[in-house]
Formats: sequence, C-alpha cells, structure tokens
Amino acid sequence: MRPFTYTQPKTIEEALTASVTNSDSKYLGGGTNLVDLMKEDVERPSQIIEVADLDFNTITSNDTGGFTLGAMLSNSETANHPDIRKNYPLLSMAMLSAATAQIRNMATNGGNLLQRTRCPYFFEVSMPCNKREPGSGCGALEGANSKHAIFGWSESCVATHPSDMCVALAALEATVTLQKPGGTSRTIEFTDFHRLPGDQPEKDNTMLPGEIITAIDLPSPKFQSNYHYLKIRERSSYAFALISVAAGLQISGGKITDIGLAMGGVAHKPWKLIKAEAFLTGKMPTKANFEQAAELALRDAKTLSDNEYKVTMGKKAIVRALEQALAKTA
Amino acid sequence: MNTDISIGTGNPIDRVEGRLKVMGLAKYASEFNVKNLAYAQGINSTIAKGTITAIDTSEAEKQKGVIKVLTYKNADKLKQYDEELPAISTSSIQPVLQSADVHYYGEYVGLVIAETFEQAQYAASLVKYTYSEEKPDIDFDSSRAKAYRPTEKSDYSRGDISQGLAEADVTLEQIYNTPIEHHHPMELHAIIASWNNGNVEAYASQQIIDDATLTIADTFQIEKKNVRVIAPFVGGGFGSKLHAKQHVILGVMASKQLGRPVQMTVTRNQMFTNTNLRQRNEQKIQVGAKSDGSLTALSHDTLSHTSTYEEFQESCGTVTKMLYKTPNNKVRHRLMPMNLQTPFAMRAPGEATGSFALESAMDEMAWKLKMDPVDFRVKNDTQVDPSSDKPFSSRLLNECLKIGAKEFGWEDRPQKPGTKEEGNWLVGYGVSGASRRAPYQKTSAKVILELKDSEVFATIQMDATDIGTGSYTIIAQTASEYLNIPVAQVDVELGDSDFPKTLGSGGSWGAASFSNGARAACENAIASLEEKSGLKIADAGLAKLMRSGNLTSFEAEGTAEPDEEFKNHSVFSFGANFTEVWVDKDTGVFRIKRMLNVASCGKILNPKTAFGQIIGGCVMGAGMVIAEQTKVEPNYGNFITRSFADYHVPVNLDMANIDVIFLPEEDKIANKMGIKGVGELGITSVAASIANAIFNATGKRMRDLPITPEKLIVAEKEPGVA
Repeated sequence: MRPFTYTQPKTIEEALTASVTNSDSKYLGGGTNLVDLMKEDVERPSQIIEVADLDFNTITSNDTGGFTLGAMLSNSETANHPDIRKNYPLLSMAMLSAATAQIRNMATNGGNLLQRTRCPYFFEVSMPCNKREPGSGCGALEGANSKHAIFGWSESCVATHPSDMCVALAALEATVTLQKPGGTSRTIEFTDFHRLPGDQPEKDNTMLPGEIITAIDLPSPKFQSNYHYLKIRERSSYAFALISVAAGLQISGGKITDIGLAMGGVAHKPWKLIKAEAFLTGKMPTKANFEQAAELALRDAKTLSDNEYKVTMGKKAIVRALEQALAKTA
Repeated sequence: MNTDISIGTGNPIDRVEGRLKVMGLAKYASEFNVKNLAYAQGINSTIAKGTITAIDTSEAEKQKGVIKVLTYKNADKLKQYDEELPAISTSSIQPVLQSADVHYYGEYVGLVIAETFEQAQYAASLVKYTYSEEKPDIDFDSSRAKAYRPTEKSDYSRGDISQGLAEADVTLEQIYNTPIEHHHPMELHAIIASWNNGNVEAYASQQIIDDATLTIADTFQIEKKNVRVIAPFVGGGFGSKLHAKQHVILGVMASKQLGRPVQMTVTRNQMFTNTNLRQRNEQKIQVGAKSDGSLTALSHDTLSHTSTYEEFQESCGTVTKMLYKTPNNKVRHRLMPMNLQTPFAMRAPGEATGSFALESAMDEMAWKLKMDPVDFRVKNDTQVDPSSDKPFSSRLLNECLKIGAKEFGWEDRPQKPGTKEEGNWLVGYGVSGASRRAPYQKTSAKVILELKDSEVFATIQMDATDIGTGSYTIIAQTASEYLNIPVAQVDVELGDSDFPKTLGSGGSWGAASFSNGARAACENAIASLEEKSGLKIADAGLAKLMRSGNLTSFEAEGTAEPDEEFKNHSVFSFGANFTEVWVDKDTGVFRIKRMLNVASCGKILNPKTAFGQIIGGCVMGAGMVIAEQTKVEPNYGNFITRSFADYHVPVNLDMANIDVIFLPEEDKIANKMGIKGVGELGITSVAASIANAIFNATGKRMRDLPITPEKLIVAEKEPGVA
C-alpha cells in the first residue's frame, strides 16, 4: 500500500478544510470499498480524512413528513431501524440483501452511494480503464462484459453501479444533501446524484471537489404494504446483483395510484424505469400489464457481446418483483 | 494435547488438536517466530507472453527498509528442466527467475525483500518492467490445432467402440465443459526459509513434506539430507500444496542471498496466478446401450490445456474406464500448450470433473431409455474392474444407490421433467454414482513409549501432514487401539522431515497410509516388548510389559505397505449422491434444498472427521455447479476473477441440509485395518447429481459448469421434453 496521511477531524468544517489543503484526499466512512481499492492500487489518495465519527449518524423526521438518514450511519443501523422498517420496508429489504452482515456493520450510508464499480478492468491496474485512468481505453467494451451495462453506456465506459441501497432510493425518490468547503450546502434529486459515463467516466456522480454527503432524505412513507426488492445473483449471499429490481406499489380502488420502479446492475447509475412507471400508473396490477411494462422498460436496452441474457433476465425480474410486491399486502 | 479417554478407532471424538486451533496455538508456516526475519514480496508479470527488455529497480531500492530486489538478472542459477514441456509431479524441480521470458500473465518476474511486509509490498509496486510483447495463446478454441497426446497412457481402449455404438439401440454424443477452478485453501501458501552454509530449514505449507525437501534439494542442486521442511499444521491444500511451488524456491533463494531468514507469503490474489489451478476440460462422451439398458459402448475424449513450459494432464477419463460394465471403451486425453500457468491436481483430479461428464451422460441415457437412473446404473454394475480385469477389493456401489434411494425418498421423484411445482419453484431430484481410487502408500512411523506412574504414554512421529482433515486425531485413535491405552495418553507429532517418511496428504491415501504406519510401529513395539519380557500384552497389559523389562521408555519403528492382495485387486471407494433442487421458474436462480451422500469407503476411523470430509466435498462439488470459475480475459489473458468477491464459492445459505450415510464396511484386502480414502469421494459426482436434478426440475440439460443464472435463464428445454 502507498504511504498516506491520516486525519481525524472533529467537525465537518475541519474535514472540509482538510480536503481543500490537499486535492488528493479521500473521505473515509466504513472503508469497505476505499480500503479494498487502495490495496489493489486503484485508489491512491495521499490523505485520508476520516468522517465516520462526525455527527451525521442519526435518523430523524424531516419537514416533508419523511425521514432523514445521516450519511455516516451504518447500513445495518439504517436497515434495522424501526422507523425505516416500518415506513420504508423496500429500503430495508434492499439494504439487507447487500454484501454480508460484517460489511453492512461497517459501511456507511454516504459511502454506499459512493461505492465504485466492480468492473474487473477498473480493479486491475495493468488493464485499460477510462474510469481509473482517463484516456487509457475501455477494456470491457470488447472484452469480458457479461456483467456490464445494457442502458446508458458509452464507448468510453460500460461499467455498472453496484449498490442495492441506491436502487431502492431511486424507486423511493429520495434526495441527497451535500456540503461543500465554505459551508454552503445543497440538495439534489437522488436520480441526479449519479451520472452516466459519457466521455467522462472517471466521474461516477455529480459531486463537486471536496463535497461531503451529509444526509439522504426520504419523502413521506411509501410502499409500506406492497414492495419487493428482487436480487438475482450467482449465490444466495455476498454477491453483487446481476440484475436487481426495486418495486413499490400503492394500490387504491384496484388500480395502481403510485409506483416506484428501479433496476440495478444495468447501468452506470441506478436505473429508474420511468416509462414503465408511467405506463402502470392508473392501471390494474395484472400480470399482463406487468409484462407490458417490462417490455417497455427493456425496449431501449443495448447489449454488449456477453450480456444479452440481461434483457431476458431484466424483463422476468421486473414482472416477478411487481408480482411479489402485489402479493405482499400486509 | 487432548483429554479424550476413549480407546481405539471408530469413535466420533473431537479433534485432538482442536483446542490448539481455537486458541491460535496451532502454528501455520508463516506464524513461526524466527529471529531476524526479512519479508519477500513477489512481483507478477503484466503480460501473458513476451520478453522483459528492461527493468528499473531504482525507485524500489530507494525505499526505506528495502534490502534487495531479485530479478532474472541476479537470481541464483537453478537446475533447469532437461526436456521441453516436462510432465510435472509432486517432487519436480521448480526453476524460477531464470530468464527474461514471460509465459503467462501473473508469472513471477521479480522479488522485493525488505524489513517489513508492508515495505516489501509497496516497493514491489515500484519496480518498472518494459516488455517486448507477443500475441499470447489464451483462447481455447483457436488453440485446438496445437492439441497433442501427452503420453501413451493418455489413450486407452478395449473392445471396439464403433462396433459397440453400432450394436446399440440408443446412443448419445454430448460435450460437457468444466471451467478453470482454483483450490484456495484458507491458509495462504507461505514459507519461512533459512539458508545456513548450504543447509536449508523451511517452515512451509506443504502437503507432502518429503517431496518438498526433494524439490528444494534438486532445484538448488544440494543434498536432500541438508534440507529440513517443517509443517506441523497445514490450513488446507486441496492439491495445491502437493508440490512445492515457485514461492518456496524464491524464499530459499532470498535467504541464501541475504544470509538471513526470509518469509514469503503468496497473497490471495497471487493464489490465482502463482500456485495451482484445475484446468478447463472439454469432455466429449459417447454412450451406446441396448434397449434393456445394458451398455455396449462408452467413449470419453478430454481436451484441455497445459502451460507452455510444463505439462500436467487431468485424467478425466479414468472414471469411464472402470465404473460400469461395458465391453467397448475408449478414453483419450489431449492437451494444448497455452499461455496460462501450469495446472495441477485439485481435489479428486479426474474424478471430480470426469464424473460430471460421465454421470450427466448416464442420466441423459436413462432418460432416453425411459429407465430410472438408479436402475440404469445398477444394471451396469460390475464386480470386476473392466480396465484391469482385477476384481474390486470391495464394491458397494449398488448398495449405495439403493440405500440412498430409499433414505432419500427417490420414489417421490417426478417421472417427467418440469412437472413438480412449489409456488414459483420447479422441483427436481438428481442422482449420481461416485468412485474414487483408494490408494495406499508405503508409510513409516516411530512410536516412543514412556512409563509414568504405571501408565504408558505414547508419542507417534511421522512426516505425515494434517491438512485440516483430522490426521492427528485418527493417528492418535489408531495408536490408542493397538497399544490399548486411552487416546489422551497418545501424543502425535507430524510434519517434520526429521520424522519417519510418508507420502504425506493427497489422493485420499492419508488415512489408510498413516493409520497403518502407526499400527505397524505399535505392533513392532509390542512384539519387541513381548519378546523381551516373555509376557503377552493381552494378559499383562502394556505397562507390565515395560516394567518387567525395567524400561521407563522404549522406541520402535514400523513400516506398512501394500501387499500382494492389494496389488491383485482394484481398490476404490464408492458412493452415491442424491440432490433435491428447486429452480425458479423465471429468474435463472436455483437452490439446493437437500442432499444425501452415501459412502462406502472402508472402515471409518472417526465418524465426525469423516463426516466433515464428505460434507466438505459436497460443498466443493456444489461450488462447481453454483458459481466457481476462473475467467480468462479474452484479449490480455489475465484472470478477471482474482478475489473472493469475484470467484464465488458457496455460502451457507446455498447449502441447506447435507446428510451422510457411511455403509458399514471393512475392506481387509485394501489394507490390514480395512481403511479406504474419504477425502475426495465427497466431491466426486456431486456436480452431476445437481445438474441432473436441474434437468428433472426443468427439462433443461445444463452441460457447461457452472450453472449460473445467466446460463439457466436463456437455456432451452431438451428436445422431447413436454
């Protein structure tokens, strides 16, 4: 591992200031991704700023009738929190399907949003990767790409975002609050937080240099009765999704009045299925409608040499997740 | 070391070294406290084929703590192979850093030695290599033209395969694929080496101590008696530690150059590229049978790869030669030299992969013949090994199948594929037969008896290893039985080349060989004591025998080896595996709901450790099906699955309930104690059992391992399935 300095600021202001003094800094939450990447020589920060113990580790009510998740709270504490289990069971379910209990105990909410792709070309420093080393090329485009994107990719990057939590947050239409050096903070829609690769795949998200995620805000409680997070993976635990679907339904008078639908494992960001959501809103929750929505959702898919299966899998996963959500009436 | 008061074998006692293990006192190779230790870190090539044209070590050498950087330019000159593409064994030489040539991606091209592990690792990343790169042979399909026959023994035939197929009422020809797999024992490969005036002492994680001393001695061209290898505890091997690999040589070389002890640990990433792997096998099976189910022909062609500098063949066809009665049989193995590391034996080499192909094909044939797959196998049983015409020492395959079918509830198996449903799941049952050669090796042991307060305490010494399998425990139980003293009064010391010689742990020969070796030493001790005292142990007991000779301590050695009876028979363990799987109708996901493994493997010395061996094998076999595979990057030739995050082994949730039944048996032809191997039988044919269950559940015939969701979701039903 490369030598680096380690600072433990006591306040967020100190943390932000420390990042300004060294543009080569990384904030450390649980370290479950950053430390791995440092061992692989992928991440090479010269300064580590530990932020896990800063005061952003609570869950509180917010003024939209929803709840605010502190960015430094662990994934385990969040997923198992009574307010989250009761009000956003879709989020709990997605979070608990991720990684292992040990990793969830360490991983922070802010860190979860910032975890980097699992693309093997990104992880192996002797391989070309535009995300790791802009201009070096994309090894996966014409290489081993069975686990790569089918939506929104570019010639320069076909990587996917690996998070489960973020897929649920996209379905729930959360917002993210960021604070930047100088003290000002801003709030953005969750779906605007991550970005598509375009010709700048080195940028996973729309954060500005030095910014820290302080909170994730959830709207008023949603999909408490009809929800499902479906994760298709190579083993029953401790594996990233080949495809995942977060589905939440609000049903009234036999019709879908509100819907949240997003996919993981298919794009550079959590992929909100806006067309499918629009199609199903106001319709009856029938299998035929679910299948039509799934067709609509995958219509724009663009496959690579090894990932054609994701189209079939994606359609089946959407239908199944919606069926399971429908069946789950509490 | 232990407190168990039971006497003899057959009891499910706890591991005698268990307490040491949970207290962290059982030391593995890298954990020995050796003074003045330096740390070495290997550097891996980043091309698959070519030549090093320049090396810049200046940055690395400037770093704090760095003692030396070794490359081919300043490495010791080692013994070279006499021939091109030599077939490697467990004691072959291991030349390393001998030229500028690169043979595969990740090959060692250098070594940094520093005062700390962290310093060595960081400095290793700073050594800069310039290569002249060539196009590597990394594509299986485009290497076919290079396929060759490794040895004459790679081919076998009896009868006439074409005639056998012509006589058949029903025939089958299919290709089955298994990917590259890796062993990944929990304990990383490691060595602490001390070179002292031409003498070598090494703590090394190896399965065969004597062969490790040979590899070191031959590679450095020194006398074997000047090499001592110590490995009291080995944290798993699965075949990857049978042979002392290049890191062992690098550790010794570094110590020789520095004049101080050096530790070298192979990192988890390097375990993919610098130890061993199970090669990818493409197996073509042809089967012919009469409509009554009697086999007329079995053919098994295996195409695989080796490296461009060493040869290793996994004998997938072995199982097809001997498992079923058929007059016409043909087996062939071909290898293609490719720019990948040299493969080597991995748990049940040949059988684990070969039985996936054969036992899948048997299931396909049973379906074509409209026969129950259990009945089809039973019908083709043979008590004589058709490949050698020798009778089997014992063969209870039919019993394994029949008893297993009854205990498993095989009669509930859906007759037609894809017809049993549970909610969103399709339910299927699968079966496979298993066989694994039960070798028995010449083994020596020493027993040291001490009389203390009218109780006799025994110490058994041998250079055998305990690779997590329970060698300490069964050797203690054996000595306890033959000396008729409690297990608690037996101490066992293993894993030191100063002890009497064995062939170590491998090939499922450990239990039979070690126990009989210990038995021979104990029997010799008793015979000598009886002769000296004129008393009989049965009447007087061991303590009285020693007292009457005025002895407070006594030593004896003994050697056990296969006799004529063994050589005149074909000696195998047999088994059957039954699996119930639930396959999701839509998502490509399947779950193993339950598994039953019936094993016929001679006398069971300790049902607890034997059970551990079988269920461990079943899990490893399930891993072959669920997700284990090492993927070669198609353009550069590196492995893209180089961590446990990407190389998926089963988790607890994948393996629901595994039951094991040991058929009561003592095979006295195999050896005097009636023991046969357990370690590899468990993994054998598990993959076929699961794949056959998936067919029964879905009508989809999955012939390429692993059966991942991405394959299962797009697979079509077999023609003829409704």
